[in-house]
Amino acid sequence: MRSELQRPDAGVGPGPTGNVISGLELPYRFLFVDHITTLEIGRRVEGRYTVPPAVAVLSPCLVAEAIGQLAAWAAMVEHDFCLRPVAALTAAARVHAPAVAGQTLELAVDIESSATDAVAYSGTARTAAAPVVEVSGCVGAMQPMEEFDDSTQLRSQLEVLRGLPRPASGERDPGVETLTFTAAWRISEHVPGRHIRAQLWVPESAPYFADHFPRKPVFPATLLLDAQLRLALELAGTLPRRSPAQPRVREVHDLKLRRFILPGQTIETNAEVRSVTATTAAIDLSAAVGTRVSSAGVSIDLEPR
Amino acid sequence: MVQETEITAAEMADVYPRVAQTIADALGCDRERVQPDLSLIDDLGAESIDFLDIVFRLERGFKVKIPRGQIIEDARGDLSEAEFAQRGVLTEAGLSRLRAYLSEVPAARFRARLKLADVPALFTPHTFCKVVARARRNGQP
Repeated sequence: MRSELQRPDAGVGPGPTGNVISGLELPYRFLFVDHITTLEIGRRVEGRYTVPPAVAVLSPCLVAEAIGQLAAWAAMVEHDFCLRPVAALTAAARVHAPAVAGQTLELAVDIESSATDAVAYSGTARTAAAPVVEVSGCVGAMQPMEEFDDSTQLRSQLEVLRGLPRPASGERDPGVETLTFTAAWRISEHVPGRHIRAQLWVPESAPYFADHFPRKPVFPATLLLDAQLRLALELAGTLPRRSPAQPRVREVHDLKLRRFILPGQTIETNAEVRSVTATTAAIDLSAAVGTRVSSAGVSIDLEPR
Repeated sequence: MVQETEITAAEMADVYPRVAQTIADALGCDRERVQPDLSLIDDLGAESIDFLDIVFRLERGFKVKIPRGQIIEDARGDLSEAEFAQRGVLTEAGLSRLRAYLSEVPAARFRARLKLADVPALFTPHTFCKVVARARRNGQP
């Protein structure tokens, strides 16, 4: 059985034998910028995204996705919609606080360099009160637009984003805005305190493929990362701790995406403890579909900070 | 003329440790595995995304600007694009220029009818030391 998207009230069916099912709430549309407020070509772009009311807590990976999508708008405008970036590298992504239902995230991206092969940027997502996620050393690899998207539609979409703010995402069409991404795992090996190896089934079809991307459906790397972080947290939970508090992700670093993951593919993932202190665990993450597709490191707080 | 690309022993000693560590970090391998004259692709398993990674890490680490395609452009020098390569394949003159520019690369690795797309397979850690040293000489960014 493949993993699939289901409505929250649709329940979760059985997965592959011996698997673990984890549900990630995400909006129906895989679009995480509601409004672009400032656009200085080649320099800076700012925008907003409101977490749909039906999404209790937006995954920090999807907050990072929002920052990346804002950077993508800036790069696409700069290259007159002939090129678009796809995620490639992130030196560091720091998780400060959760983004919860109904919160409006103020997004900001500083473009550090932009060329026909790559755009480099850093960015933040914050509420009025505090930072939520910060990313730095991000690089998007520029790709021919026509392979991924319809430039005419994107131009129209940009006009909407630059116009009056739209209603909060969850208010536009209640009842169909939020789905649950049901990740079906089969854990093939789990050595507590050392490593977890698992398989993740990418669905053959899912609503987010329509946005990511219209002409070339690709499994979003941020969904893969979210699933990998769940594995890493499970692994961290097996480490000796003084506090009963749950481990939490502090930072993802050296994230590299080597190739696209396509609908229907099976991803082999590995989370391996690299080092442990009294308060922090460093875990290496990797994923492969036949050959390696991504790698990253994650720092996990074992004790409340 | 081919631009002056050789770096002094002092420059090499200055930049090599950080360049090698940067490459090791980008490729996720031990620093000891990185040697000056190994091919990044053939010997160290680098892919195109790794070159992007290495270049951005070097730019951040050394605070220099390394324009993409710089190595090819520098090797081409004052040859026209048509004189350097035709239909994606290096001309004899282009190959000669490249061989002179990448003097650190063993001659046996330069084969006839080399495609432009295959040139990165020649790059070594030493090549990136030259790129960084040149960027620093030029006072970039």
